[in-house]
Amino acid sequence: MGHIEMMKSGFFVIPFKLPKYDVLKSDKPPMHYMFVKKHQNKIQQEANCLFIVNLPLLSNLNSIKSSFNNICEKFNTVAHITELLYHDEFGLQDVDLSVLTSDLLDTNDLKDKRYTPNNTVLLKFLDEASLDNCWNALRKYSHMPKELVQWEYSIPSVSSFTNFYKHIEINWLKENIHKHMKLFEEREQQAQEQVQSTIVDDDGFTLVVGKNTKSLNSIRRKILNRNPLLKHSQKVIAPSIVDKKAKKDFYRFQVRERKKQEINELLKKFKEDQERIKIMKSQRKFNPYA
Amino acid sequence: MGPAKRYASDVVDGVESAVSKKALIGPKFDARGQEEGSMRHYPGDVDGGTNDSDMEREEDSGVDDTDTDSDDAIARGDNKGQKPQYEKSRVSAQDIQLATEAAELFKSNIFKLQIDELLQQVKLQDLHVLTVEKFLHKLYDIIQEIPEWGEKSFDEVELFFKGKVVSVPFCDPKPSSSTQYKFSYRTPDVSLIGSFALKSAIYQPQGSSIDVLLTMPEELFEKKDFLNFRCLHKRSVYLAYFTHHLSILLRKNGLDFLHLEYTYFNNDPLQPILTISCGEQSASEFNFYKTRFSINVVVGIPYGVFDSKKLLPNKNCIRVDKDNNTTPTPFYNFSVLSCSTHDHYLKYLYREKKQSEAFTEACVLGRLWLSQRGFDSSMSYSNSLGGFGHFEFAALMAALLNGGGVNGNKILLHGFSSYQLFRGTIKYLATMDLCSQGHLQFHSDLDSSVNPPSKYMAEGFEVPTIFDKTTKVNILSKISVNGYSMLKLYSQETLLMLSDVVKDQFSNIFLTKLDKVQQVNYDLCYDLELPTGRELLSKFGFLEKVRFTSFEAFWINKIANVIKIALADRIKAVSIDLVGQRKVFPLSKRKPAGAINFTSIKIKMLVNPMESEKLVTKGPSNSDEFAAEAAQFKNFWGKKASLRRFKDGSIMHCCLWSMSSSEPVITSILDYVMKQHLSEDAVLSAQHTRKFHNLLPLPNLPGSSKTSLLNLTSFQNLKKSFDNLYRIIFQLKLPLSIKSILPVGSAFRYTSMSQPVPYAYSNPDFLQDVILEFETSPKWPDEILSLEKAKAAFLLKIQDQVMTNHGDQYNCYFSNDDSIPYNLDIVTLNILTPEGYGFKFRVLTERDEVMYLRAISNARNELKPELERTFLKFTAKYQASIRHSRTMELISHSFPFLSPVIRLFKKWLDVHLLMGHFSEELVELIAVKPFVDPYPYFVPGSLENGFLKVLKFLSEWNWKEEPLILDLVRPEDFEDLTETSLGATDLDSRTMKKLSERLNLQQYKSIQSNFNSLRHEDPQGLNVQFFIASKNDPSGILYSRFVPLPIATRLTALAKVAINLVQLHGLNKQTIDLLFTPALKDYDFVVKLKSPTSLRLSSGILSSTGFKNLENQPTKFPEDLNELSEKMDPTCQLVKYLNMKYKNSIIFSSHVNMGASSQKGDENVITGLIRPVFKAPLKFKANMDCNVKPIDKETVELNKDAIFHEIAAFGKELVVQFETN
Repeated sequence: MGHIEMMKSGFFVIPFKLPKYDVLKSDKPPMHYMFVKKHQNKIQQEANCLFIVNLPLLSNLNSIKSSFNNICEKFNTVAHITELLYHDEFGLQDVDLSVLTSDLLDTNDLKDKRYTPNNTVLLKFLDEASLDNCWNALRKYSHMPKELVQWEYSIPSVSSFTNFYKHIEINWLKENIHKHMKLFEEREQQAQEQVQSTIVDDDGFTLVVGKNTKSLNSIRRKILNRNPLLKHSQKVIAPSIVDKKAKKDFYRFQVRERKKQEINELLKKFKEDQERIKIMKSQRKFNPYA
Repeated sequence: MGPAKRYASDVVDGVESAVSKKALIGPKFDARGQEEGSMRHYPGDVDGGTNDSDMEREEDSGVDDTDTDSDDAIARGDNKGQKPQYEKSRVSAQDIQLATEAAELFKSNIFKLQIDELLQQVKLQDLHVLTVEKFLHKLYDIIQEIPEWGEKSFDEVELFFKGKVVSVPFCDPKPSSSTQYKFSYRTPDVSLIGSFALKSAIYQPQGSSIDVLLTMPEELFEKKDFLNFRCLHKRSVYLAYFTHHLSILLRKNGLDFLHLEYTYFNNDPLQPILTISCGEQSASEFNFYKTRFSINVVVGIPYGVFDSKKLLPNKNCIRVDKDNNTTPTPFYNFSVLSCSTHDHYLKYLYREKKQSEAFTEACVLGRLWLSQRGFDSSMSYSNSLGGFGHFEFAALMAALLNGGGVNGNKILLHGFSSYQLFRGTIKYLATMDLCSQGHLQFHSDLDSSVNPPSKYMAEGFEVPTIFDKTTKVNILSKISVNGYSMLKLYSQETLLMLSDVVKDQFSNIFLTKLDKVQQVNYDLCYDLELPTGRELLSKFGFLEKVRFTSFEAFWINKIANVIKIALADRIKAVSIDLVGQRKVFPLSKRKPAGAINFTSIKIKMLVNPMESEKLVTKGPSNSDEFAAEAAQFKNFWGKKASLRRFKDGSIMHCCLWSMSSSEPVITSILDYVMKQHLSEDAVLSAQHTRKFHNLLPLPNLPGSSKTSLLNLTSFQNLKKSFDNLYRIIFQLKLPLSIKSILPVGSAFRYTSMSQPVPYAYSNPDFLQDVILEFETSPKWPDEILSLEKAKAAFLLKIQDQVMTNHGDQYNCYFSNDDSIPYNLDIVTLNILTPEGYGFKFRVLTERDEVMYLRAISNARNELKPELERTFLKFTAKYQASIRHSRTMELISHSFPFLSPVIRLFKKWLDVHLLMGHFSEELVELIAVKPFVDPYPYFVPGSLENGFLKVLKFLSEWNWKEEPLILDLVRPEDFEDLTETSLGATDLDSRTMKKLSERLNLQQYKSIQSNFNSLRHEDPQGLNVQFFIASKNDPSGILYSRFVPLPIATRLTALAKVAINLVQLHGLNKQTIDLLFTPALKDYDFVVKLKSPTSLRLSSGILSSTGFKNLENQPTKFPEDLNELSEKMDPTCQLVKYLNMKYKNSIIFSSHVNMGASSQKGDENVITGLIRPVFKAPLKFKANMDCNVKPIDKETVELNKDAIFHEIAAFGKELVVQFETN
């Protein structure tokens, strides 16, 4: 593998040395590679950002700051990093169930919501100058791979794993619920007022509908059709009352038709079975000594 | 008398003449053409006694009518507006006839077609038959050349064979030189007998044998020769003389490639025969090596030469001592009598075959059915399932064609189809007792007009009996009582299968070889070693010799009797086999072995799980009335017998056994009685049973090592504790009243891997899930986050009240729950009870489901699969779990071994690091399969049997093409079936209820169609591998939708390897250890972990080596409940986060139950499997979501080094070793 500075798609390849661990035997010094590109977007919030692909494990603002500052230092420059945007290493926030299920939270901006791929992040700088400084430093750094910066992992302790089993403080929980329910009620109140003020029909009746409860039945059906468990099941259409009541053997032709149909069905089934047997035979399913 | 060559057909037709020698074989070829094409009876005709031929004619014309009708119908219907094509409609009409016939005469269309295919498969190859017949002609010619030899005394015979290769295969006892009678050889009457002659022989991969009968001329015998082995010795000399000359003549004729050996006909030591086989391929036209046939030359006695009445089973025919003329000699009598009836029975069967078109086919079906189950015609001592083979099946069928009912009514009719004949015979075997309650009597006179009908007589002889009044032979003489009960069990099971209208049972009935792996076929297998041969021989006294004729038969009978008395209803059936028996012996030897022809004994049994673990063996009650029985009881049980008073006040003789967690009670009983009755040195080894028992984690409870495997007390204690809490919670005053409190944790259905132990809070199953439902309310928030908060508010209220009112006993805390992905706000209330158990309460509302469905419908398309996963997880955890728990709990009451088998299977999965990838429900559903759908085997009756059956099922399950459809109710007992069939009109409520609970055809078909539609979209099973459906989940994907493909295939592969191992090497310490050793080399890398705290003790598991007094289980929870987390498994969190971080590229696995997986419970291992896509270079993309390094400007590859460093850093304090493969 020769030295690669930049991917074809415009990403700089930023290598880092990795610390040594006794349990690992590696002959070559191990490296981590980040892929960095300037982020170009009209959204105000995302101005002055670098788009980074492949962050090391458990990176946070501090660890990135320190290693990027190290790089900047090498080239006698300074860059001020302010924020890490859309950082969700374990994919916990991939889906926001609340937004997807709520009437009250504004779901209109669903489309505007940013979806950054997993294992990527936006690194926000204070201003354009900082961004440019860092960008230039990274370009030079990727040029001369000999003096590499070492990446320091943030290492969790055993108790940080067992802490997952810790209990929720009851008072905190109470407060949290209280706070949340209050907010929710407010939102509900607000939404109701809004709705009431807008939809008053000709007769003076107020129509109270939410997006998800417009017409309960149709919505429910639409939602229930989403059940992944029923995806493959066939829908059975119940016979209508008219069908149920009609006599089926009144005319002679009906009897004859029915007989014909029965025979045809029998024959069809027989043919199907023969086909099935053929397939089974080709799969050698009839060998009693297999 | 000239050489009379006969073939059965000639004789039957009354043409008994000296036909040309080609007639020996000839008729075989035109027989098929000659057979009258008789029409078949329809089921309704069973009791009709009308003249067969008349009926045939009527039906013939009837069928013709429908023929033309349907012709027209098809012509009108299918070729609308077209000129009907003659050819086409003709074919259709024929098809219609076939179709209607198949539907009415067979179980179903498909069943008939399957039978046809099967018969085609096992047909003998015509070329092979021609080849072997060529040799048979030659053999006939050679036999004619053997010179006659006459009137020799015993000494002359000895002299003749002295120095010759061939020796005389005299049976024991050998005649002495004082023998008065003379030995001779006269040219025999040669004929073919057996299935080859009847043309019901089938292709068998190990080769089939052809029986050639040489009937000794009548003049060689005297009237009294049936006594004292005389006729048998004459026959032995006859055979030896024949063999001697045959071998010379064969050499002379250039047939050196033939190999001659002695063996016993059906392993009867009184009937030595000669086998001729081809040792090698050669250019000779008579070489039949390729056909794999072998030829048995059987020497027979002419029919009717002795008075058959004197050879009845209760007569004595071995008289040495004048005083001892009363001991019956049934085996000897049968042997003498049966060797004169070979020819007779062939004719009898041939006559039936001629009358009943489907007879041969039914014979073939019966033969296959029997051989798949291990039954054959040999003597029961040599094969525990011997004594009922092809011949006996055919003879029974023939008898039933001539009656068989209690009033002599016909059980089978000549017009039946092969399926009907087979089913009728099986039904007869299943329902009529031919041993203790009655027997079947029939006549085999060849002139059918004088034959009275066969009749079932309500008088049992305690030996299986189908008695032929004509020949005085009991057809079932060779089968043992045990073998017969096994036959009956199999017949009953097969009848159930044949009555199954929902599932296709064809392959279970005919295609599966059951005895491939004996541990799968039998519940318990023991090896019995009897080291002192002399001691054994000393028990084989004169009377025994007379009765049993062979030492082996005597021993098998003795062991069987001891086991039967000792185990009684603890077992359903037992079979005892001799190991190391020699069956063939060279011509130079008189017999195959010395005094004892076996090395050890194998005892295999089917257990009755409801009775097997009884603590007490009850004997007669202690009163004068039963004094004789009591004496017998004491005599049998020796010092184990004792007097006990029972709760109801009765005093009884009984034996008390001790329970053990490591072996079944049956083992200790057997061990005791074998030493008591056979030999002090008898060694009964049941190592593998013990080994399997010890694999289950032993709970750290008082007396746990003295508790039976089937004891569920530890689970009951947990349930009791829950019931107390249940009462408290139900009484709480809450804003919404509680509708239901549903326990759904695995311990409630007895399936948690380790048994519940108080205060064992490190066990991952310690907190048992409970679902709480409130009465319906429209006020639940219409938004998931707030809904969860509202639920938490209710739980807070419960906690508050429980603590206020019962705070001295109960303890509560809250924790976050991450069981539903992306729902990060679920809070559970965990309540610790004073008895030391923990329950985790979560709330289910009627709004939840709609919420999750709404999320799916509102989400962007690319998120939908993730949300579907969330929905499935929710359904499984909150809704289906209720049904699943209820069903499994209910069903485990019917299957005592279900709970231990599931627990062992979970343990096996955890050993192989797979448990973390499957939901508990999925695992339980797989493990329940051999219980609810056991066919063609029986419901498991031991731990190892159930476990192996689960593995066997997994190894054979082709999930790409077959769904697993489970009917989660107790399978029908045979009694249930007979009840309903007897009184179909008065179906009681219980039966009705049962009927409604069972999966019906419609439901089955709809599940099947769900599967078909699923596979239509995903034919290779890349998304869903295991389709496991039941009434609880007809979709079949609830628990298996998100099992990773590599994990599913790994499970199948592991099961295959395991079953192969057991099949090849059997079960012993090494193989069982191997079964439970993880194959870490199969993974891409392995990380070994060690946790600073040992969890074994706090997981409630007793270590096998630890000191007991150091292992006192804690008796309370820590004061500060936050201390609980210190004794929790950190590795499971590590694996969880690794899987989240690398979900796209690597699959991580580890032991779920760290406390149970190592000696101290502080070691774990993480393995990584890199997904195949990432093993090759990839094009760089910003959204590729994995740790990569560049190769060139466009491509990248997985940066394994960096990943390993990340893992090492992540688990720095836990990782002790890192291996890459």
